[in-house]
Amino acid sequence: MTEKAKIGLFEYDVKNGLGLIGYNVDEHEHAHIIVDTKKCGDCDSMMCVWGCPAQCYQFRDVGLDEMKFQYEDCVECGTCFLMCTDGALSWNHPRGGFGITYTYG
Amino acid sequence: MSEEADFDVIIIGCGMAGMACAAQLLKEGVEGDRILVVDRGEPVGAKNMSGGILWGRELDELDDIFPNWEMDNPGIERYINNKKIGFLSSDDAFIMEGKFASWDGVGETSEPSMRTGWSVLRARTDAWFAEKLEEAGVFIMPGIKIDQLNIEGLDHTSYTARDLTSPAEDSGRGKNQKWRISNFDPEIVDAIRNGKIRGIVQDGEVMTSNVVVIAEGSNSILTRSYAFDSMIHAQDRHGIILGVKEVIHLGEEEINSRFGCYSGDDERPPSGMAMEAALAIFDDMAEKAWEEYPVTAGLVPRAGGWLYTNKDTLSIGVVIQLDSLPSGIHTYDMLAAYKAHPAIAPLIRGGETVEYGAHLVPEYGLDRMPTRLVRDGAVVIGDAAGLVYSNGAVIQGQNYSIHSGKLAAKVIANCIDSGDFSEKALGQYKKDLDASYVMRDLKRFKTTAKFLADDANYTWVPKFMGTMFNRVVREIGEEKITVEKQAMRLRKEMRRKDRKTKKGMGLLNLIRLGLMGRKL
Repeated sequence: MTEKAKIGLFEYDVKNGLGLIGYNVDEHEHAHIIVDTKKCGDCDSMMCVWGCPAQCYQFRDVGLDEMKFQYEDCVECGTCFLMCTDGALSWNHPRGGFGITYTYG
Repeated sequence: MSEEADFDVIIIGCGMAGMACAAQLLKEGVEGDRILVVDRGEPVGAKNMSGGILWGRELDELDDIFPNWEMDNPGIERYINNKKIGFLSSDDAFIMEGKFASWDGVGETSEPSMRTGWSVLRARTDAWFAEKLEEAGVFIMPGIKIDQLNIEGLDHTSYTARDLTSPAEDSGRGKNQKWRISNFDPEIVDAIRNGKIRGIVQDGEVMTSNVVVIAEGSNSILTRSYAFDSMIHAQDRHGIILGVKEVIHLGEEEINSRFGCYSGDDERPPSGMAMEAALAIFDDMAEKAWEEYPVTAGLVPRAGGWLYTNKDTLSIGVVIQLDSLPSGIHTYDMLAAYKAHPAIAPLIRGGETVEYGAHLVPEYGLDRMPTRLVRDGAVVIGDAAGLVYSNGAVIQGQNYSIHSGKLAAKVIANCIDSGDFSEKALGQYKKDLDASYVMRDLKRFKTTAKFLADDANYTWVPKFMGTMFNRVVREIGEEKITVEKQAMRLRKEMRRKDRKTKKGMGLLNLIRLGLMGRKL
């Protein structure tokens, strides 16, 4: 514990967390979420980036000029669908048998 | 009609709601081979997650299908006899704790003696429920995702699932978003919105049924696509909560000693603890975020944290009201902050994280719940229907799901007898749900959602509780003053600190909060 027991800034090792989930990743042509990244250009809140618990969205937060989306780590929660204010998302669940597998849940 | 359909009932989703619906249908005398349950998880349960405590004894009524569920279901971990409600601020923690002998369920207590809540791990509970349903003759198909329903008189190849979920070319932004399907022939659109639902489409193949039960869970695509008036809309995060969770392995003995739990015996699982807390611990993270992203400056993250004991693991996580998340804070970093809090860190110390995950909680409150739960040939149950309620003290969801599944099953069984699957006949389910404790709870406590969405509970309230308790119980050589005086003094001090707190703790605001809080 720190000298002053105070909560400050914290970073979660999300890649490590995601590494604990079982995945059966589907091929690109069957990606369950499709992001029209052209629409992301002037979005200043980037709520998908902050909401997504699986770091599937990266943009200016990491110094990129263009939205970078990957569906492979998705935990299928649906947060990005609610967060996007530019109508850039087509959101479906992965095909049967694909995506995440929880063993605890 | 009954002879023509492949199944009497097709249930989409084998979570708490879906499995309860299937079990109740069996109890009502519907043949197992007339019931099909599809689930996108393989095995069943692989996609399912809860916090999770299952409250209430809803499963008792289903124990001929799920015999000895409390002991035999491998996902029912510990019964809860120890409940904590906390207020965590950056400096302090004020945690109320109750340990109730009556919750042990062994009799001779002044309050009703019953075990009333269990920590659960849903990937395991749900796999077992599916197994028992299968043994009872129900068709279970795991690893199947359904994204199209079969509508009478409509060729399912005239549109695709993607047409239902992809933005239209001419779509506006925000609330004006349109889906590709809206530009289709009006007759097709009307059939999708109002036609008679007669089964499902799976991989281009139609499977017919008299009734489709949508039990897809919180992130339900079908209710959205087929105009059940679901409140989960794109670009609308009001009333939706995201839970971010870890399962941490600690060992059964260690959990028993660290949390003061009893070992289990032949009749009972081991005992366990359930803690929930309001969190005002993100000050530094928020300030940094507001500075970097002025677009959401001033937005206070409204979040709670939980910690539950499983048999040899802990479930720990944070719930975040998504409309309160400012740009600049990752949801998972909030979990890290919670885990590091001085009141929490020692409880999980030495544990090994074995799973990470996240799930939406549809805690809309009554005003925003889906109103259309029934269509000709289809009903919506469980999380997909938004049946979740919390006032901070109790959190209900899985039991509501089970109850809604049972109610739907009873109505469907009657419809099978009469051969009438119209919206009117199935509509009895909505009436029964309205008359049940589920909707009565939601109605009685309708101000709760507003109360829980008040910034106060995530800013000055936890701080006030912690500091107040600190001052009342400490001895640092200062003169004692009454609790009342202490409270006045602390309020004055806190109001001096910043303008936001000054306003938040203003007299009118306190009265307003008190009026809402008294209705919890």
